[in-house]
Amino acid sequence: MHGFDHEHLESISGFLGQYYLALALMNAVAAFYVWHKAQRVWLAGFWAVVSTGYVMLSPLAFGGNGSWWMPTLGTRIEHFVNDMTGPVVYSLGIVCSLSTLFVFRRFFVRPVVAWTGLNLMLLVMGLSMADAAFASIVTKADNVPIVGLIYLLCFFTWLAASRAVENDDRMSRGLPPREKDDNEKVLVWPDLVYTEMICMIVLTAGLIVWAIVLEAPLEEPGSTVKTPNPSKAPWYFLGLQEMLVYFDPWYAGIVLPLTAVGGLMAIPYLDFNKQGNGYYTIEQRKFSYITFQFGFIIIWITLIVLGTFLRGPNWNFFGPFETWDAHKARALSNINVSDWFWRDVMQTSLPKAPSGTGKITELAYIAQREWLGLLTVLGYFMLLPPLMATTVFRKFFVRMGFVRYMIMSNLLLMMATLPIKMVLRWTMNLKYIVYIPEYFLNF
Amino acid sequence: MADKKKMSVADMLAAARKADGGGGGEKSAEKPADADAPAAPESVSPKASAAEEQPTKKSAASGERPSVADMLKMARGQGGGEKPAAEKSKPTAKSTAKPAAKAKPAAKATAKPGAGAPKDTASILAAARKTEKPGPMSKADAAARSDKQGAGKAGPAKQKAAKAKLTVPPMPTKPDYAKGKPGAKSKPGAKGKPGTKGRPARAKAGTEDRRGVMSLMFGSALGVGFTMLGATHVLWGLATTRFMFPNVLVEPPSRVKVGFPADFPQGQVVTKFKAQFGIWVVKGEYDGLQQIYALKTVCTHLGCTPNWLDAEQKFKCPCHGSGFYADGINFEGPAPRPLERYAIKISEDGQLEVDKSKVFMQEKGEWNDPASFVSV
Repeated sequence: MHGFDHEHLESISGFLGQYYLALALMNAVAAFYVWHKAQRVWLAGFWAVVSTGYVMLSPLAFGGNGSWWMPTLGTRIEHFVNDMTGPVVYSLGIVCSLSTLFVFRRFFVRPVVAWTGLNLMLLVMGLSMADAAFASIVTKADNVPIVGLIYLLCFFTWLAASRAVENDDRMSRGLPPREKDDNEKVLVWPDLVYTEMICMIVLTAGLIVWAIVLEAPLEEPGSTVKTPNPSKAPWYFLGLQEMLVYFDPWYAGIVLPLTAVGGLMAIPYLDFNKQGNGYYTIEQRKFSYITFQFGFIIIWITLIVLGTFLRGPNWNFFGPFETWDAHKARALSNINVSDWFWRDVMQTSLPKAPSGTGKITELAYIAQREWLGLLTVLGYFMLLPPLMATTVFRKFFVRMGFVRYMIMSNLLLMMATLPIKMVLRWTMNLKYIVYIPEYFLNF
Repeated sequence: MADKKKMSVADMLAAARKADGGGGGEKSAEKPADADAPAAPESVSPKASAAEEQPTKKSAASGERPSVADMLKMARGQGGGEKPAAEKSKPTAKSTAKPAAKAKPAAKATAKPGAGAPKDTASILAAARKTEKPGPMSKADAAARSDKQGAGKAGPAKQKAAKAKLTVPPMPTKPDYAKGKPGAKSKPGAKGKPGTKGRPARAKAGTEDRRGVMSLMFGSALGVGFTMLGATHVLWGLATTRFMFPNVLVEPPSRVKVGFPADFPQGQVVTKFKAQFGIWVVKGEYDGLQQIYALKTVCTHLGCTPNWLDAEQKFKCPCHGSGFYADGINFEGPAPRPLERYAIKISEDGQLEVDKSKVFMQEKGEWNDPASFVSV
């Protein structure tokens, strides 16, 4: 964005003023809680100071029209973020930051650290909202659930991790996990049914309020010759839509989703680890934990967020503070493995069956043309499992047996095809490893 | 007994309260019932007949306090209601020839002086509920309870009472409406037409059967129901048939005239036919030849409609970012093959005519087909 849009600032200033007030209240409550319950005066004082800071931000935001005093991230930071974010930085950055969170989880699950992180997230969110491009995407009725999803996901991941860390500590001291300590049985009625009923009522009320406050994002009548630009799937399918960018429809739209569902159903039969039943733990189930978090947070949620906030017209990648320009020039010529091999390495044209030959000859020519890609794919799925069985997954292979190990390793490899292909596309403009358009078989 | 039939609800509840006082005070009730069922009622009211004690004993024998249902039953029994328990009590009361109803309240009143003042309905109901243990019941609990009940049933008191009650009550006299039916049924059955003989739909007493089909259709609830069902099915079938012929033009014209070849500028993509016909007409170069060809406006990836971006000289699909050159060849994004061509030719009047019923695919080598382009 170039400077700040005054019209936008006026329209958003009221909301932002209240937003900062709400943050101040949130921190005041936290300070009171820390002082009253935990008796930690210094910490309470710190949160009180933070709360005061938000109170001071609020009138500035309410003022709104003068960009001097408006709390913003600043144009320079926004430009920097825009320039920095590309698909590679975004995805690899998330992988790296999540790995950091995982490795240093003992530090990050501490309530003080988590509360600081929440404050930072909310503050950056508020500062970014002063930007017209960012606000227009985030406040779109379609996208509000995704914003909520990010915060909810952070909270629940933190909750599970903090419980798991606590249990791991207890178990390392020889104590049973916390869940075993208070395993008093409760009755379905009233304990469970009452909870469910209250949840139901609260959820219904929330949905009604939501439906009234946020207007349904209705668009013009559909037409076969006009596709909205950008044309986005419902938010929960945005991960799938992003997958479709990198693969042929039969693979990303049919094989991968079905494999994901089937693989999830197979988990109980593949899992041989008897530990971690009925309580949170990471230490005892490291492989399961990492695999799940990778598959869910990285491959599914990250792609939804990417599709929601960072994909603009013509499915181009846009930075979070970038205006969605439908004519953003982005020259990209994707090449296939066969093109690369025959044209660039061998310096010849692609082998092509002379016209008028039979099916068998044609197939032979196709095989010759695509031999490198075919071998790569076959090797990936046939050589890697035995290789992994003798190296990293040796224990797994011994405990699982041949069939279960092969199923598990192939599921893992299929899951890994997605990030591998994405990175190859972004870094090397790779289009298809195997390219057989004659039979709609591209991989 | 006649005035008792008109007993109001309030009276019933009052009786129930008294029964509660007699049948069991709040805490002492379970003890006598469990300890010795036969002894308790005798000691309580030796003068009262077995019939009077029956409801109380029944509940006592089951090892429980009387439930609300029992209480109400008992109250109705005093009132001479229609419940079987009450009916049973009637004859025995007659046979013993004692002023049962009068004796009962007195006996109850004297039975448990410790029970004290009459209680209100809420407390009675609460007490009745209290005996049932709330929450899930273990198997052991259930077994113990059924044992208790079994013992109570097998107890001598119960047997005695059962024997005493074995006298069968007389059937009530049949009301007129019940008497009339069988007679009416047999009469028209004999008189009526042969085809409809003995049909239950013919129940109307004394009417002559002149309606044949009509009575067959509407003579009974079942007949009406099946008639309606049949009619509904017929209407539904008609509606379905109509649904198969919608009010639309089934096939839009597949041949479109787009103008004279000379009107198309060299090297440009004409997008004005996209909205109406779904085609781009291009005068450009393919394979070193100058041609006019018509491209289908459907992305070969998943069927969205791409847009022609003049500045970048490419077709760009908004759904997944596939890109095509002006000649339709795919070069970026996930689209696996080039756009498709429609058949094009010069018609008799010299205009270009696009035939949308035939497509040509580049990857199958069909773009060399002279029907897929017009040379210029």
